[in-house]
Amino acid sequence: MAYSDKVVDHFNNPRNMGSFKKDEEGVGTGMVGAPECGDVMKLQIKVQNDTIVDAKFKTFGCGSAIASSSLATEWLKGKTIEEAQKIKNTDIVQELNLPPVKIHCSVLAEDAIKAALTDYQQKADTQPIDTK
Amino acid sequence: MARSMCWHCQSEVTGEYFCERCVKVQPVSKETDYFTCLGFPRRLTLDPKKLEAKFYELSRTFHPDFYQTKSTAEQTISLSNAAVLNTAYRTLRDPIQRAEYLLALETGSVKDIRTSPPADLFEEILELQDTLEEYRASDHGSDQGHRLRAVLQTEQEALERRKVEMESQLRQLFADWDKLQDTGEATSPAKAERNRILKQMRDLLSHRTYINNIVNDLAATIA
Repeated sequence: MAYSDKVVDHFNNPRNMGSFKKDEEGVGTGMVGAPECGDVMKLQIKVQNDTIVDAKFKTFGCGSAIASSSLATEWLKGKTIEEAQKIKNTDIVQELNLPPVKIHCSVLAEDAIKAALTDYQQKADTQPIDTK
Repeated sequence: MARSMCWHCQSEVTGEYFCERCVKVQPVSKETDYFTCLGFPRRLTLDPKKLEAKFYELSRTFHPDFYQTKSTAEQTISLSNAAVLNTAYRTLRDPIQRAEYLLALETGSVKDIRTSPPADLFEEILELQDTLEEYRASDHGSDQGHRLRAVLQTEQEALERRKVEMESQLRQLFADWDKLQDTGEATSPAKAERNRILKQMRDLLSHRTYINNIVNDLAATIA
C-alpha cells in the first residue's frame, strides 16, 4: 500500500524538526524506540505557564514514523499539558490514514508525547516553583 | 503434535500429520508452534543441516503435486500446511529470528517485557544521525567532507565491533537457555534464571536492531 498524501507531505516537509537543550527550563524530552523495527524517536516540548509553546522532534525511521512525530509536534503546540495527555495514537492513524502495518509508528509517537510530558513534570517537580 | 480428531474419519489422531486410520493429511493446528511444526525442541541452538533436512522432508510430504488426485479438502489442507511450514522454516533458520520467535512464545507477547529505552544508545544514534546529515549536505570532495567521512567510518567500525560483541553475548544466552531447558527444573532459582535469560535476550536483541539500522545507514551513506 502506498503512503497517503499527508504522510508524504510530512515526510518531505517535516514540521518542527530539531531539538532543544535538554536541561533548558521548561523543556521535556521523550525518547522512545521500537525494538521490532529499530526506529528511534525523540520528541521535545517547551512549556510556559502550563502551555506547550513549542515542540520539536527528531526521528530516524520509516516515513510513517517521521510523519507521525511531525504531526504530533504540530498538534502539541498551543495545547495545555492536560490537553496534550489526551492525544491518542488513533487520532494520528486517522489523520494520516496509516495502514494496519504502520499503526505501531503512531503508537511510538504517542509514547514519545507521554514520555516528554512525564519528563517535563518530573523536572518541574524537582525544581523550585517560581511562578504560581 | 497434540492429539485431535481426524476431520475425515473422526478417529483420534496421534500421528504427526496423517490420520493413522484413514491416512488423510491433517491440518497443522493454529496452536502448533514452529518448533513443534518442524519436530524440534524449543532450543536456540539448532543444527541448520538437520533443520533443512526436516524442512525438505515435510515440503515433499505436503507438496501440491502429490495431492492433485486427492479431494479438494486434502488439497486445501496440504497447501496451507506447506505455507505454515515455509514460514516456520524461514523463522527458525535465522538465529536472531528464532530467538525473537522464542521470546514471543515464552512471554506471550514481546511487548510484555518491553525494555526501558536505552537512553545512552539513543543519544549516540541521534548524534550520529546529525553527523550523517552534515556529511550528506557537505561537499564530499572538500576537507570538511573528508573529515566527516573519516569520523563516520571510525564510528561504523566501532559499532560493527559492538554488534559482533552483542552477537557473542547472545550466543552465550542461547546456550544458557538450552542448558536450563535440558535440566527441566521448576525450582525458583530456575525460574529466576529463566527470566534473567529472557530479559537479557530481549535487551540485546532490541539494542542490536537499533545498532543494525544505524550501521546500515552509515554503510549506505559512506560506501
